[in-house]
Amino acid sequence: MSSMRVFQLGLRRAAAPAFRGNFAGRMVQRRLANSQSTSASSAEEILVKQRVNRPVSPHLAIYRPQITWYGSMFNRLTGIILSGGLYLFGFAYLAAPTLGWHLESQSLIAAVAGWSTWAKASAKFGLSMPFFYHSLNGVRHLVWDTGKALSNKAVMQSGWAVVGASVAASLYFSFLA
Amino acid sequence: MASIMRPSLLRQSQTASQRVYSTFARQPSPLTQHLRPAFAPVPSTRIAAFHATQRQAILPALPQKITGTLNEPTVVPDPTPAHGSYHWSFERLVSAGLIPLTVAPFAAGSLNPVMDATLCALLVVHSHIGFEACIIDYFPKRRVPNLYKASMWALRLGTITLGVALYSFETNDIGVTELIAKLWNA
Repeated sequence: MSSMRVFQLGLRRAAAPAFRGNFAGRMVQRRLANSQSTSASSAEEILVKQRVNRPVSPHLAIYRPQITWYGSMFNRLTGIILSGGLYLFGFAYLAAPTLGWHLESQSLIAAVAGWSTWAKASAKFGLSMPFFYHSLNGVRHLVWDTGKALSNKAVMQSGWAVVGASVAASLYFSFLA
Repeated sequence: MASIMRPSLLRQSQTASQRVYSTFARQPSPLTQHLRPAFAPVPSTRIAAFHATQRQAILPALPQKITGTLNEPTVVPDPTPAHGSYHWSFERLVSAGLIPLTVAPFAAGSLNPVMDATLCALLVVHSHIGFEACIIDYFPKRRVPNLYKASMWALRLGTITLGVALYSFETNDIGVTELIAKLWNA
């Protein structure tokens, strides 16, 4: 190598300090994923953490609406409505003297007597529909508890029978009785 | 020469591989490709989810906790008759008892205060059991232990308050059955 070339190479290196040494250095790729070694116990810990992030099962709406599970759902819903109403009335009745409310039977009856016929009928229907559905479905449950009418067909038939009977009874007691 | 070619080749192969998993095949413009740093993640590229259906959740998933080893996700409770068959029979007895107590006053047309009080007591027990089942189902103890405990105590307090309220209503007022009958015909 001539002394001239050595001189030129030195100049070039001095001018570009970043490229000093390995010339291919600028081509080294940046790794986005870095790895680290784990012990057996920490591997299990990571797995436990991963399992905590497991997905939840899909939403109820992916299932086809069927009388079996819809009936069961409405049984719980109507039960919550009825019992929730009872609890709320109880709390309000206890709090009434302090809050100055009038929830004695006379004032309640007098208040309802002032309602229009349609208001009365719809209030009756709104109360009797959950009541009859929950009561009749409760009888259905008690029949199941004896081990009877548990085939798929029987469950579907009794489900629709309860729906029909509760609608009929609610209509009768709201508008006729 | 090959070493100089490599970065751009890698860049192309990276975007190409991401495009494979993308749900929409949108070609980024050459300008953005040039402006983008060599190996930065491509923000517009969406990785396709495993499930093809839309994710729908009423509520977010409750926190999960794993006790014991990996293969013991749930703790099986000790079998005791007080939590099993006795409890079950008691629930059925209360439910079945509610039927005659509900029907009789309206069918017979007579209103007996003792019968009304029994109906109220059974309604309180039946409601308590029902709400208890809801709490057990929707606020599982192993997932949300504090919420479970708090709601259980709130329910106990509420049930006792309801008992006091119904006792007061039965002794000072006309009783539940009579009130409903009168409201119905108001």
